[in-house]
Amino acid sequence: MSYASQARSALRICYFNGILPLWRQSTLLIAIFLTPVSFVFFLFVIAPRDLFAYGVVGGILFTALFTGNGMLNDCAYYRLERQLQQVFVASPVRSTTFVLGMALSELAFTLPAQALFFTILWITHPFGPAALAGLLAVVLLTWLMATTLGFMISTFYSQLREIWPVGTMVFSTLSVIPPVFYPIAAIPAAWQWAAFFAPSTFASQLAERSIGLATADPTGAPWLGVPGVQLLGLVGATALFAAAAAKLARWRER
Amino acid sequence: MEILSAERVSKTYAGARGVVRALDEVDLTVARGRLFGFLGRNGAGKTTFIKIASTLLLPTSGSVRLFGEDVVRHPNRVRERIAIVPQEGRPFYHLTPLEHIREYLRVRGVAAETANARAEELVDAMGLRPYAAEPSYRLSGGLQQRTLVAMILATRAEFLFLDEPTIGMDPFARRQVWQVIRDAARAGSTVLLTTHYLDEAEQLTEELAVVESGRILYRGTPEALKSRVGREVRLQFEGGVTAAELAPFGPVFAERGKVIVATTRSRVAELTQLALARDATFNVGPVTLEEAFLALVGRSIEEEEASA
Repeated sequence: MSYASQARSALRICYFNGILPLWRQSTLLIAIFLTPVSFVFFLFVIAPRDLFAYGVVGGILFTALFTGNGMLNDCAYYRLERQLQQVFVASPVRSTTFVLGMALSELAFTLPAQALFFTILWITHPFGPAALAGLLAVVLLTWLMATTLGFMISTFYSQLREIWPVGTMVFSTLSVIPPVFYPIAAIPAAWQWAAFFAPSTFASQLAERSIGLATADPTGAPWLGVPGVQLLGLVGATALFAAAAAKLARWRER
Repeated sequence: MEILSAERVSKTYAGARGVVRALDEVDLTVARGRLFGFLGRNGAGKTTFIKIASTLLLPTSGSVRLFGEDVVRHPNRVRERIAIVPQEGRPFYHLTPLEHIREYLRVRGVAAETANARAEELVDAMGLRPYAAEPSYRLSGGLQQRTLVAMILATRAEFLFLDEPTIGMDPFARRQVWQVIRDAARAGSTVLLTTHYLDEAEQLTEELAVVESGRILYRGTPEALKSRVGREVRLQFEGGVTAAELAPFGPVFAERGKVIVATTRSRVAELTQLALARDATFNVGPVTLEEAFLALVGRSIEEEEASA
């Protein structure tokens, strides 16, 4: 199959695995909305109004990061429970096509939630087209990073029950502990550098910067506050996870 | 002409009780266009072999060539031309049978018009028409299995791996699937099929291999395997007669309250009289693949236990 055919195949997988199920089981939407909306609501109630925009940006990034959790669970379910990954391995469909198709499905699931968050953010903290482009780029990189990580982890396990807690641990660690929902300024400047061990911090800093929110000013490692470095950090983490997935993920069993 | 050739293929796993040898230096060839059966007990190594040959699993040692290509070194060249019904596979949750076939063909690069036509054709051939618009989560296990098999057979791949394709199906559905498998072979596909239904193997396969403890015990036609039993007739008894009483008449196989003896035509009258005297329920028929399989594998198990 040519590259164009592989690309069409990925879109096809997205159609029948993402768009059709969403259309046929709209309760899925509620599940996807619920966690980030709860966080945002919680912040709305307890946090000062000037921090609300951070919460909404957090909701956007949380939703993008949790595509990785969906990817992990869906791929594991299809491989272990339904034996469907095998049907794609023994076929002209390449592993990259399958992963891209599955990742696009996960993205499709989150689009309504993202649309809601973007709208709330635009109403409460108006931004222009450049900011929108910046935010979208961060969301796409975060989605790519999270889904490649999710797929890779899914291939390491042979029992579905072992996988369930892994996704929650990994993606909650990436989205709740680092400054995704809260401003990095809440961490003492001397310790802000530590937050950058989580790639999601690069994403949150870039997203917040793109709509004009205050971002990191870490003492001891001021270069981490430079936008170019943050972009490099996010792109580098995405490339690292993609390379690791290409090298370590088990498309064929060993 | 050989389309698949396996040489000294072994696969070992690290298990809780030490190293498990799932395949032990298996040599096997399958000719192009054949309907080839792979028989064996649970855990004998059938699925492991299918997984290796279909590029799903790496062997520990040995080589498998499909279409002349090494499945380890050039898996993508092989994958262009194969399709598999995996053991215990289940279709996608939300898709209907028609969508399954159509979408899978589209993902494999088949043009929309052809995919639609083949989906319609297979839905009819597999008896799925009344359920064609039902999402798979509403279908019974047997119908889901039929959907998965239809999806794979619709590919018309040059080599089809079918790992227990009719499991969970009713006798009518199995016969429909057999016909579609025969049609696929007639159209030029080579089929490697595993099954626990020996009547299925007898009905479908032109050639078969029996595997036990990771080794090939037999390879040849079903008829030749049956002839190895050395008897032409089987009598199956339910109650009234013990295996020990039947032993002088020929090989005996006992199974859940039933006792089967394979014997010669000349001794049928004697056995019939015995059954009538004991008021036992019985039936008589030609020796089947089941007796041949039980005799072959049973002997192998006895030999293995004796040597252990």
